[in-house]
Amino acid sequence: MNSIIKKFFIIILIIIFLLAFYGSYSSSNISNLAVVVAMGFDVSEKNKLKISFQFTNTSSVSDTGSSEKSPSSLFTIEASSISNAINLMNTYIGKEINLSHCKLIVFSEELASRGISEEIYTLANNTQVRPSANIVVSKCTAKSYIENSKPTLENLITKYYEVFVNSSQFTGYTANATIGDFFYSMICNVCEPYAILGGISSENTESLSSINSQKDSNGKASESSLSTQSISENNGLAIFKKDKLVGELSSIETLSFLIIDNQVDGFLISVPDPEKNNSYLDIYLTPTVNTSVKTQIINGTPFIKLNCKFSGRIYSMEENSNYSDSNILTQISSSCNKYIESILTEYLYKTAKIFNTDINRFGKYVRKNFLTESDFDNFNWENNYKESFFDVKVDTSVKSSFLLTET
Amino acid sequence: MTKSKINTIEAIMLVLTIYLTPSILSMPKDLISLTKSATLINIIYVSIIAILISIVIYKLLKNFASYDIVDISEYLGGKILKNIIGIIFIVYFLISSSILLRNFCECLKIVHYPMTSIVFILLTFIVAICTSAKLSFNTTSKVNLVVLPLLILTVLFIFFANIKNFSFENVFPILGDGIFNTFVTGLGNLASFTGISLLYFLPPHLKKPEDMKKITITTTIFFSIYLLFCVSIILFMFRFLMNVDEVMPLYYITRYIEFGTFFQRLESFFLFIWILVISSFLTVNLKFSMEIFKKLTNINNPNALIFSFGLCIFAISVFPPDYANSKYLELSISKYFVFGVSIILSITILILATLKKFKRKEISKLE
Repeated sequence: MNSIIKKFFIIILIIIFLLAFYGSYSSSNISNLAVVVAMGFDVSEKNKLKISFQFTNTSSVSDTGSSEKSPSSLFTIEASSISNAINLMNTYIGKEINLSHCKLIVFSEELASRGISEEIYTLANNTQVRPSANIVVSKCTAKSYIENSKPTLENLITKYYEVFVNSSQFTGYTANATIGDFFYSMICNVCEPYAILGGISSENTESLSSINSQKDSNGKASESSLSTQSISENNGLAIFKKDKLVGELSSIETLSFLIIDNQVDGFLISVPDPEKNNSYLDIYLTPTVNTSVKTQIINGTPFIKLNCKFSGRIYSMEENSNYSDSNILTQISSSCNKYIESILTEYLYKTAKIFNTDINRFGKYVRKNFLTESDFDNFNWENNYKESFFDVKVDTSVKSSFLLTET
Repeated sequence: MTKSKINTIEAIMLVLTIYLTPSILSMPKDLISLTKSATLINIIYVSIIAILISIVIYKLLKNFASYDIVDISEYLGGKILKNIIGIIFIVYFLISSSILLRNFCECLKIVHYPMTSIVFILLTFIVAICTSAKLSFNTTSKVNLVVLPLLILTVLFIFFANIKNFSFENVFPILGDGIFNTFVTGLGNLASFTGISLLYFLPPHLKKPEDMKKITITTTIFFSIYLLFCVSIILFMFRFLMNVDEVMPLYYITRYIEFGTFFQRLESFFLFIWILVISSFLTVNLKFSMEIFKKLTNINNPNALIFSFGLCIFAISVFPPDYANSKYLELSISKYFVFGVSIILSITILILATLKKFKRKEISKLE
């Protein structure tokens, strides 16, 4: 009799627990979810938030496999906050919005200039938002940026969002800026946040010819000479002071940022040809060691010393080139040193004097010069960064060209 | 329970369960909040003190062969002191279990069960631990042998998987908030050595009581090293957690672990292992609470009381109205109990009992 009561009790207990956990199970059931792959934030005319959600059709992805392009749809809603926008959107679409697969968060330039701390804190507080989601500041509206994000070489939009920042590792023209890093940098007292600078490539290439004729690496998003239909592009960085957008970095400045931050595996750079005036050599450089940063406080002013080392191979080749001569290679190396030193120095002074924003997190090295937190707080690094002066040393060793050494 | 004895390794794992489990929750972050960038120095300093305390406890316990603190209290002050000390330790074990359970379940609710009442999540654990507590003491300690290494492996994995994201410069300014804060106020971090309380109850369960020295010192040193790893992960990766209160800092960091585009979202796997560890911790605490209760009341079958104790844990865990209150209780209870009960009260009892023993010896010699 006892064992029957025991079994009955266990069955009742199991049923109670199943019922209790059913709510959570059903709320996360894929058929009840609307999967968001990208979110865009704009400012509406009524000064509210205009939030765009890009959804992917989960059932069509599994049905069609990889041979067909997965459809995605974009909805925009006006609300006073993200949570309200999600709530309203849930009502309209009849499903629950899920941000677990949101790979891209786009802010319009206008909103970013006003400050986005509320949005960032809310997103960081959300259990569904992944810290690895990329953050973009768009020069056009966030809605049109997402609308024009078309995976031309990929079938899945999610796959495209996952891989589009990979080029930063071998070009250095944009960076892998994530919402996790952005949130960290916004709170941290020795660093400032940055985001990918996005835009839409313009078909009107004539107006851009003046920019591109000078140097390919001086452009930013929306300034490229990409001759295709309107398509979103990412080039350069948007830099912030706390939560407010304060400036933009061009491709070459972004490369400088990545070199100092040890985030680039290799990059192509055009350096002045030591043998011919007004001529450039394309060299592929690879950092051989991490950039070393040393800091000192001299008369109450930060002095930051950087040392970079690269090895390189020459891409450019023309008639009568001779890259088997060590003297020529040494000359090219010193041309590289001079050129990279100049772009790094220019970049550093721009971030310090013009923007006063320490996106390279030099503050963490400066902390070494202080014994206690209060000493460092009194130094007021956030406002003192603009007083910094820099000394950049570059040591490049150009080894040779690739297959041909002499023509 | 007293009939089954455990070997030295099992005893070490048992003590480490009590030491290590709170690190899953906010303990490493709480240490950093107190001593800022000087936390690593502070942990080394606090660990040395904890090792010295462990040696003192071992030396004092050695005089009473296989007696635990409740037996020693009876020897010192009779039944009254025995009951007082017994009840204090039962309350400590039950409250620390309840608060830890509540905080962990809050996190589970936020992350995985948003639509489920916290009561049912708590009850799931209560049913699980009551069922496992019905098994023998040896079973509990053998399960610990499997579960605890998994916890250690998860922390090592988090450390090495995130090492590329570490900024070792975060250890500066080296003195944090100053010498006084690091070495005097920072003594508060000794409260993380919660496993000390279990050392007083181990002697009767050991196959080799002479290994008590090995157990006390090994567990304290191991915990110190483990703590260095836990704190390093947070300090080197997210110094900002000093300013932001995270429900579970280690869980927060696991969200950053990714290996390419294939191995992502590993946090659920960590959470699963931590559920096992929390259950182990609760079972050990429940077992020892029942053991003390058995000693106080002389009942033959303490297993009949398992569900009563389980319900006590449940009742205490639903008592805080929200996470903020629960967190406050966790911080204050661990501090007051570790300093007040585990260190000051227990060592005082051991010293007085030792003095009484030597006095009796001298009297008997004189006679």
